[in-house]
Amino acid sequence: MFGVPELDEGVQKGLFYRYQDLAPQLVPLDYTSCPDVKVPYELIGSMPELKDNPFRQRIAQVFSDDGDGHMTLDNFLDMFSVMSEMAPRDLKAYYAFKIYDFNDDGYICAWDLEQTVTKLTRGELSAEEVSLVCEKVLGEADGDHDGRLSLEDFQNMILRAPDFLSTFHIRI
Amino acid sequence: MLCAALPLLWLPLAGAAATEEPTPEPGSPGEPPPGLALFRWQWHEVEAPYLVALWILVASLAKIVFHLSRKVTSLVPESCLLILLGLVLGGIVLAVAKKAEYQLEPGTFFLFLLPPIVLDSGYFMPSRLFFDNLGAILTYAVVGTLWNAFTTGAALWGLQQAGLVAPRVQASLLDFLLFGSLISAVDPVAVLAVFEEVHVNDTLFIIVFGESLLNDAVTVVLYKVCNSFVEMGSANVQATDYLKGVASLFVVSLGGAAVGLVFAFLLALTTRFTKRVRIIEPLLVFLLAYAAYLTAEMASLSAILAVTMCGLGCKKYVEANISHKSRTAVKYTMKTLASCAETVIFMLLGISAVDSSKWAWDSGLVLGTLFFILFFRALGVVLQTWVLNQFRLVPLDKIDQVVMSYGGLRGAVAFALVILLDKTKVPAKDYFVATTIVVVFFTVIVQGLTIKPLVKWLKVKRSEHHKPTLNQELHEHTFDHILAAVEDVVGHHGYHYWRDRWEQFDKKYLSQLLMRRSAYRIRDQIWDVYYRLNIRDAISFVDQGGHILSSTGLTLPSMPSRNSMAETSVTNLLRESGSGACLDLQVIDTVRSGRDREDAVMHHLLCGGLYKPRRRVVCLNQDPNKAHILHLYKASCSRHFISEDAQERQDKEVFQQNMKRRLESFKSTKHNICFTKSKPRPRKTSRKKKDGLANTEATNGKPPRNLSVQDTAAVILTVESEEEEESDSSETEKEDDEGIIFVARATSEVLQEVKVSGSLEVCPSPRIIPPSPTCAEKELPWKSGQGDLAVYVSSETTKIVPVDMQTGWNQSISSLESLASPPCTQAPTVTRLPPCPLAAEEPQHPFNLPYDPRPSFAFPPSLAKAGRSRSESSADIPQQQELQPLMGYEDRTHLSPGTANSHWCIQFNKGSRL
Repeated sequence: MFGVPELDEGVQKGLFYRYQDLAPQLVPLDYTSCPDVKVPYELIGSMPELKDNPFRQRIAQVFSDDGDGHMTLDNFLDMFSVMSEMAPRDLKAYYAFKIYDFNDDGYICAWDLEQTVTKLTRGELSAEEVSLVCEKVLGEADGDHDGRLSLEDFQNMILRAPDFLSTFHIRI
Repeated sequence: MLCAALPLLWLPLAGAAATEEPTPEPGSPGEPPPGLALFRWQWHEVEAPYLVALWILVASLAKIVFHLSRKVTSLVPESCLLILLGLVLGGIVLAVAKKAEYQLEPGTFFLFLLPPIVLDSGYFMPSRLFFDNLGAILTYAVVGTLWNAFTTGAALWGLQQAGLVAPRVQASLLDFLLFGSLISAVDPVAVLAVFEEVHVNDTLFIIVFGESLLNDAVTVVLYKVCNSFVEMGSANVQATDYLKGVASLFVVSLGGAAVGLVFAFLLALTTRFTKRVRIIEPLLVFLLAYAAYLTAEMASLSAILAVTMCGLGCKKYVEANISHKSRTAVKYTMKTLASCAETVIFMLLGISAVDSSKWAWDSGLVLGTLFFILFFRALGVVLQTWVLNQFRLVPLDKIDQVVMSYGGLRGAVAFALVILLDKTKVPAKDYFVATTIVVVFFTVIVQGLTIKPLVKWLKVKRSEHHKPTLNQELHEHTFDHILAAVEDVVGHHGYHYWRDRWEQFDKKYLSQLLMRRSAYRIRDQIWDVYYRLNIRDAISFVDQGGHILSSTGLTLPSMPSRNSMAETSVTNLLRESGSGACLDLQVIDTVRSGRDREDAVMHHLLCGGLYKPRRRVVCLNQDPNKAHILHLYKASCSRHFISEDAQERQDKEVFQQNMKRRLESFKSTKHNICFTKSKPRPRKTSRKKKDGLANTEATNGKPPRNLSVQDTAAVILTVESEEEEESDSSETEKEDDEGIIFVARATSEVLQEVKVSGSLEVCPSPRIIPPSPTCAEKELPWKSGQGDLAVYVSSETTKIVPVDMQTGWNQSISSLESLASPPCTQAPTVTRLPPCPLAAEEPQHPFNLPYDPRPSFAFPPSLAKAGRSRSESSADIPQQQELQPLMGYEDRTHLSPGTANSHWCIQFNKGSRL
């Protein structure tokens, strides 16, 4: 859908070492010989820094090829470059949308939002409260009143807020 | 705090004035009056504080005058006008007293005028924005200030060496560096005064303003180091002194920040325990912040940094701990003090400039300084921004840099510092003073005047006031998490990583320690925002409804109180103010009603589909009886804290329906049971307490006869009971916020009631229970002797507390029936006792109804509806509506929900005895 921007040579190298670090026993240093190696999600998800992050699994799923969270080096690089500042706004919005779209149906529906809210609130809200929040969120952003957010709705809503996507990137 | 201290403010001035003007008042204490004086003039005793008050008054009046014309204030910043006014006033004083008086004294300025401004800006600093840009702010504040000081000082020295400065300006390189250090710092007061009116975008503002606050440490250090070097004489300065100078930079800045944080911690901790003495909460905030300032000043650390950090650090916890009223008090007092101090500062600056003795003009120096500070500021900004942009998430573009360069205003700090110079050590002091005045005037007046057109011309991104949406909140959090996750995965510990860490630490330890337990509900921010938005919408609807109602003749005395109540409950929920920058700003800046109305309109337009919260609001709005709204709010607000089992949720949902629909839905028995079951515990305890307090005669009154009835009442209707309950089970701020209003009204109400009804026999009938469970307990049904009353009331009751009442009544009645309750022959006092739920005791309660109570209790739907419609049509009786939100006016026993129990009791006693 969008072209993911190419990364610098140096950055790629750094990321590769990081990738290799994640699973030294799986990923050989000479990567070119076996380009299909995947780092299983279990390894990524069990990183100590990530254990409190509610979106770790979802992110891995979105960026992995078949949605199972197992990442190839390409996926890994893509993930970084989408989050880099070179990536166009639309691309970021698209990936953000995909992260929200838990059931991969191309729309953010109430169920997707409930997943998000539950994750964000770490289960501290009751189901009732979560659904109230979701209703409100949907109501705010649902431009065509079909009870779910299309990518277009989502982009409109995101772009309406200033500095929203402009801060949605990382630097190394 | 400051108000108390202000009298001291003019002591030096007043002292001077006293010696100067021999105050020609008649009857001054010089000559002892023969005998008893009828009239004595004691000017000297009040002189100092009087003058202070007078000057502040003059400044305030001037402000009012400036703002009479919108055109002027939209073009000319207030600070300019004040300085000009100061010049005029200074001229007048000079002409009258033949000597320049009332100048800006450094002591006054640093001890009394500066702290409120800094505290205000620190406390209301949008913390998320601040920390997002901390890197840039620190760079500009430290590197930028050092750069400005050294380059300006050196360049001026070069100017002197080149012979462009008159030789009568005797200054060495060190003197120039000293001058450079004091003239180079961007001044927070001036920046605030000018930028507040310009409305550049938030990032730009926070960078310039943050710099002006944080550069204080550098300025203080540079000034002190240079000053001591000058005093030592440049020959005696040794290499270690330079090292010490560098070290003192860290000591002063980090020490100041540490002092601030320590006091912030103390402050937060103290406010945790003020539950029973709400009245001193605002005072504590001011006192401890001022103590932080003075402590830092005492230890010659950076006092500005200390207060800034104190305000920044304590806000989240303090706001969570103190009551809503205290919050408002803090907010307005802080704003008032800051505005007052700012006004006085600029006015005194103007007055100080009139003093001709200060003027030692040297064109070369003045023009050179002006040119250099502008030039080096611009150069410094460009260089630093170039470096920063290599690291910043959002680079600063050229236009931003222009505004930042141009926005580097100098102000009263520089002036106060230059006045403090020792003339014997710095022979060129007078020249420096004159130059500083020119620089300050130039930056404040010329740059202040032109920055607005410049910003417009350059099309600088302005700050947009958009309503915070739930989406925004949600996505902000999600994005934070996503970014943190990606950072973690790629093994980079960036900003997001550290913020994540901090938030977890804060949640786990700090918040637990510093927030009172009720405040620290592990509620999520998202829910808070959701809630806040809902309430805001609701309030706006109520506001609108208010207008409609007033047109139909309803008086609205309780509007403000209702607002505040709703807001209270909302703001109570706003625990996580730490990162909700924009939200906080909104809270501070908005003019409530106007905004809300706008929001409401927006919502009307935008949201076609009704979602639940709105539905609730609408229904309330429709109901002329506005107090309903309030109570519902109240109830629903506090409800969210209480419990979350499924039943609870169900009845929450029920609340969101409109009144009529609720009425209908309530009929289903399922809900009745839910209600009764959902939360009997806390209410019981609260009731018990109340009983113990209010019902003195009744010793056996504790066990409530009829749980379901009282439960419902508590849930739906009563503010007091909810509060009570909350305060019992956990501490809440609400109690003292609301109680007063209700009680007061209730009293008048009771009186009125007495008058209206005329006869005391119109006893509060049992069905009035809804208003407050306490009343209900005491005056329970068995009291009433009037048949018609019963009918009325029952219909009313249906309207208000339909289901539970019904069940309760039915239960109690059936039990009574089965026991064949005796006619009412017993003493009235006994009847009033809250009866025991035990069936065995029931018969003892005099049930003296001449007719069968059942019809009224049975709540036929038609009757219930009739009651409701009647109450709706009764909107034309404002007083009663206002006061007795929960009952129709036909119900002559007006019992407002908060009616003091004592009133009830007394009246009732009489009635029954009669």
